[in-house]
Amino acid sequence: MYKRILSGTLLAVMMMIIAGCGGPADRADGTGDPDRPRIALIMKSLANEFFLTMEEGAREHQAAHADQYVLIAEGIQDELDVNRQIQLVEQMIARQVDAIVLAPADSMALVNVCQRAMDAGIVVVNIDNKLDDDVLEERGIRIPFVGPDNRDGAYQAASYLAGYLEPGDPVAIIGGVPSAFNAIQRRLGFEDAMNEAGMEIVATQSADWEMSRANRVVSALITEHPNLKAILCANDSMALGAVSALRSAGKLDDVHVIGFDNISAAQELLRNGDLLASVDQHADRLAVFGIEYALEMLESDIPPDDQETPVDLITAETLD
Amino acid sequence: MRSKYLYRTLADYFGLSLVLLVMVMFFAMRTEHFFTAITFRTIANQIPGAVIIATGMTFVLIIAGIDLSVGSVLALGGAVFGMALTSWQFPLIPAILVCIATGLACGAFSGILVAGWKLPAFIVTLGMLEAARGGAQLVTGMKTQYLGARVDPIASWNILGLSLPFVIALAVVILGQCMLSFTVLGRSMFAIGGNEETARLSGIPVGRIKVIVFALCGGLASLAAVIHCTRLTAADPNAGIGYELQAIAAVVIGGTSLMGGRGSVVKTFIGVAIIAVLENGLVQLGAQDPIKRLVTGAVIVFAVLLDYYRRKV
Repeated sequence: MYKRILSGTLLAVMMMIIAGCGGPADRADGTGDPDRPRIALIMKSLANEFFLTMEEGAREHQAAHADQYVLIAEGIQDELDVNRQIQLVEQMIARQVDAIVLAPADSMALVNVCQRAMDAGIVVVNIDNKLDDDVLEERGIRIPFVGPDNRDGAYQAASYLAGYLEPGDPVAIIGGVPSAFNAIQRRLGFEDAMNEAGMEIVATQSADWEMSRANRVVSALITEHPNLKAILCANDSMALGAVSALRSAGKLDDVHVIGFDNISAAQELLRNGDLLASVDQHADRLAVFGIEYALEMLESDIPPDDQETPVDLITAETLD
Repeated sequence: MRSKYLYRTLADYFGLSLVLLVMVMFFAMRTEHFFTAITFRTIANQIPGAVIIATGMTFVLIIAGIDLSVGSVLALGGAVFGMALTSWQFPLIPAILVCIATGLACGAFSGILVAGWKLPAFIVTLGMLEAARGGAQLVTGMKTQYLGARVDPIASWNILGLSLPFVIALAVVILGQCMLSFTVLGRSMFAIGGNEETARLSGIPVGRIKVIVFALCGGLASLAAVIHCTRLTAADPNAGIGYELQAIAAVVIGGTSLMGGRGSVVKTFIGVAIIAVLENGLVQLGAQDPIKRLVTGAVIVFAVLLDYYRRKV
């Protein structure tokens, strides 16, 4: 008996969820609307606050400029699901969109499918994670990258941090996924600033962008390097993990932490001083910059050129 | 008779403890600061969540089941806990209770499907892994919730220098082991894992016990969520990805059989400690990511191999 009740309930819940999904707010496909160009925005994981903000920004922009273009936004489930993202680009080629704005999950694997899109006459604009220059050159194609200089952003935050340190102070870097382009750029930016200011980088460890991994890594690091004066994290999630590790070790007052991305959860920490600085690369504007550039390319035959978008240092003073 | 049992139990724990000891000695010799009270306090602060999850996983493996959803259930529990404290303005204790109720419900749901329809636990909990993750993202709106001082009462508590989460984890291990060794429920679990049909024929309520075990596993995962969120002072909808495999690794290092019928919570605890010591030691050595993964993998296989030969002798 309970089996029947349970399976009935399960079925009902599923129907409700499915019914809820197909509401009138469904994505505008734009087919049969020849006047406005259709722009496909293909992002990485929408389970990531950063890309979600990016998508929301793009939707708001489209709503404000509804007469200019139609937006088709798609994301993959898992940030590393390169295969799925390639399929999405292929679908967009099949749907004959006018432009694709892409945040590639891999800086090499997506080049091939981008080339096919361009062969089909689609304008391709690269945002967020830069496609590999060597691969692009080998293929003989040019895809404009519209995005922030991560190395410069990291350099700004680390230089600000240096003002709170004495030359020779031991510092540690907590990096993102070691193979990711932006992780490498941020690490290099941190290193530039720290070497310039004469600090000693005693450890560089990866925590895969993850809060709880950063917490464990930092706990171990401060035991091995008790004199550590600063921890430079390649994103705010890892900075949150570092701050909580320092708090439980009772070292929050001795060690400065900086992060990157300016996520909402980090702002309280910035205000109370547990986090010294972060970097805002304006996630809500990132996709918009790409879309605006794609529109520009569609209207005029400008040659594809890289565009740099702003990165800003965020500290307790700059927060409202 | 009694002393013989005690002797065998101790001998059983000895092999694993030896592995742990050798590792501690190795890191103590190779790094400057490993062999200090701070390292052990750090490890004691880190492992409670993993210990509690692995305890639930031990129960499930003993009945020859598996629960792949613990990481997602942790995230969902954490999400509910975080939202209860921030958006819904719950006091701490009700927030904890709501969180644990969520985990119990997820576990019981999986258990009912496994027991009632005789579906493979692998598939049911794989479904729960996806669904609970979706739930966690839905509840938090995919944004990390900063908890800050709201969880300080848990974080600042300590008894004789041991943190409250560590004391809770110890209590879970002790109670769990006592349940396995000395209660009817524990003996029935081993019987089901050994041979389900025989257990059924000898009058053990197999279905009911399965539901209880899966509910326990889910409940423990959400208890771990409270501890996890307290340690990080944040609730992250993407927390706990891959925890199911870490928990299974720790449980298997502890000699629990994936085929069911055999297992010990105390040894699982040592298994978790082995992984934690390894991770801390490798960071303190300054090992890079690929090396860390290689070594961790090798140690898992080595520990299981050692356990195999120790049982043969």
